Amino acid sequence: MHTLFYIWRNLKRNKLRSALTILSVGFSLALMTVLNGYTAMQDAWGAESEKYHRIVVLNIQGFSGMLPIAYVDRVRGTEGIRAATPYAWYGGNYKDEQMPFAQFGCDPKAAFGVWDEFSIDPKQLEEWQKTRNGCVVDRRLADKRGWKIGERIPLKGTFYQFDLDLVLCGVWDSPKNTDSLWFNWLYLDEGLREKNAQGTGNAGTIFAQVTSSDATAKVCQTLDERFASSDNPTRTQTESAFFQMFADMAGNVRAYIFYIGLAVVFSLTLVAATSMAVSMRERTSEIAVLKAIGFSRRRVLVTILGEASSITFLGGCLGVALGCSFLELAHRAASQIVPLSVSEMLGPWLAYLLASAAGIGLVSGIVPAVRAAQLSVIDGLRRVV
Amino acid sequence: MVPAKYNVRNLRVRWVTTLMTVVGTGLVVWASVLTFGLADGLDHALRISGDPLDLIVMRKGANDEGSSNVEQKVAKEIANLDGIATDKSGQPLCSSEFVTILTKPRRHNAGTTNLIVRGLQDVGRSLRPEFTIVRGRDVRPGVNEAITSVNMAERFENLAIGEKLEINKVLFEIVGYFEAAGSSAESEVWTDLRDLTGARRQAEALSSINLRCRDEAAKTALLKRLRDDEQFKLDAIDEPKYFEKQMEASSTIKYVGYVIAVFLTMGAMFAAANTMYAAVASRSREIGALRAIGFSRRSILLSFLFESFLLCLLGGLLGCLATLPFHGLSTGTMNGATFSEITFAFRFGPSVLLQGVIMAVTMGLVGGLFPAIRAIRMPIISALRET
Repeated sequence: MHTLFYIWRNLKRNKLRSALTILSVGFSLALMTVLNGYTAMQDAWGAESEKYHRIVVLNIQGFSGMLPIAYVDRVRGTEGIRAATPYAWYGGNYKDEQMPFAQFGCDPKAAFGVWDEFSIDPKQLEEWQKTRNGCVVDRRLADKRGWKIGERIPLKGTFYQFDLDLVLCGVWDSPKNTDSLWFNWLYLDEGLREKNAQGTGNAGTIFAQVTSSDATAKVCQTLDERFASSDNPTRTQTESAFFQMFADMAGNVRAYIFYIGLAVVFSLTLVAATSMAVSMRERTSEIAVLKAIGFSRRRVLVTILGEASSITFLGGCLGVALGCSFLELAHRAASQIVPLSVSEMLGPWLAYLLASAAGIGLVSGIVPAVRAAQLSVIDGLRRVV
Repeated sequence: MVPAKYNVRNLRVRWVTTLMTVVGTGLVVWASVLTFGLADGLDHALRISGDPLDLIVMRKGANDEGSSNVEQKVAKEIANLDGIATDKSGQPLCSSEFVTILTKPRRHNAGTTNLIVRGLQDVGRSLRPEFTIVRGRDVRPGVNEAITSVNMAERFENLAIGEKLEINKVLFEIVGYFEAAGSSAESEVWTDLRDLTGARRQAEALSSINLRCRDEAAKTALLKRLRDDEQFKLDAIDEPKYFEKQMEASSTIKYVGYVIAVFLTMGAMFAAANTMYAAVASRSREIGALRAIGFSRRSILLSFLFESFLLCLLGGLLGCLATLPFHGLSTGTMNGATFSEITFAFRFGPSVLLQGVIMAVTMGLVGGLFPAIRAIRMPIISALRET
């Protein structure tokens, strides 16, 4: 207790120096919080989609491959599948904006069965199922754009040579901002057939819900085996693996964050060590006095290490707070880029950051602490600072 | 003025502190410049892909080649249009191409990603900057062969010479590696046009037409002709503009770089301030003496600012130097416009390094300002009396 009090008083002695070190550590760790928040967000997103045991069927060649619409019924007929819908990426332009939000052609009768955690007013759903050119959107997207029910939403095809003239029938609520619009797949397909354009009969991808997460692996295997010898073999994976595939496309982001983090940690160790070394130099005679009145070497060592790690730990707290506020602001401002709020990404990674902050202090304090502990009382008292 | 030698010697006397601060700022600058170099490498690859006289012709409404398609007969008409440059043998430099995107695994279990496979004829090669085969040989049409770049062969499974890439159950043997001045063509796999459309079971399909205009005037005329023709329903885009759009779509790295730089510069600023406060505190008698022998407050302020500037500049230069081993190192990420892999090399040109130096100078000047002000506000008498 006395030691803690002594550490605290020492911290307050040169307030300016402590504050500057804390701020320096704080800003750098804020960056680490933001970068690590990105990976934590991906993990949380993956864990989240794990909950709903959905699977995604894709042509083995990827998105440009064909997935015949007849496959949807064959997926539905598979044991262990609860619901399935085609899910065709339309990728259209809205007015002058290039693909400002995601648009998918799906089966209005099945979509809310596959995403059963989404809720929509049954009347609106019925309206959508009745309206051939109807569409439903995420409530957040509708709010952002100021769309009301009955709004006309024209979309210009980029890949598909058929422009959609959609009418908003309803909005859904979902746990996360999906920034998406759903329309009837048949409306697109009929339009393409009428214009004799290419891309007809293609489900794009098929999203399906499996009855239980235990069955997922088996269902994926069954489906892929069934289509293996057809003209269009498939790759079926869990929804979280599917999203992981997108994350992988950016390249090895985790390794990159790790190396940036390593540089920051080294840099901070040096910063903290400089600050500690200066503090100690000023206090040489004082430490000699401490030892003269009977403080043990160990206690001197512990005091100094404690001081060093408390400073950086405080900096770590500041940094984590700063970084989390930055993430939260980003989430509020652009929830399609940062889909999770900070409260949903909390996890042990924050504790690791705080621990590494304290660790930086500990390492940076070793040299000054050992030197102080080994200081001979006579020399220390004699030295003129 | 206080001679600069005074500052240099001071930095040398307290060399441990100096070294630690220099290395600390150096690491911070290094991390940021590395990210800038990454963004610049990506931009560079896309920038040099566009030739000012080249046009890309796509279906109206298509955002990129992958989502475009052009009819065979229209392509033939376009090749006969006036204003297209010709090669030595009099052939128009107009290349009909088919692009398909496949999801393929990267090597070393680094996940799957999209890969651009382009089917084209010989003429397409002269439309890319400095196309040369560097190993193996070019493809022979009709026998399902393909070529790619060394970088792609290293990044993707089944893309090394002798390996076979599967496209709709048809195997394409890789027979050579090519280079194209580091342009985005080096992120693709090339094969014969008809071999590819055959494998994709879209026999007559074409995605886009790549052509070179004879000169600026011919370009303006061709752009107008192609865009206005009601029958064609096509859109022609300046190649540099086309790739500029891809740059914008892939600018995330740039913003990440700025976020890193801003946070770390702030952090390093406080660290520099700390070092300089300590320098001022331990030198109060010197400062008093300098004042006593007649140096003005301004010259002392400038002297301390200079010292701080020097300290961080050293760090900045060290950080910049430390990025140089990464120059030319090839890496890859997703092209935000095509959703496919693009490979490129880190690039640390003068503008990127200058950004790093600016960061360091900002740290030094802002971080040194307050300590320097403290130095000149010390009354001479008490400064001289300090122990």
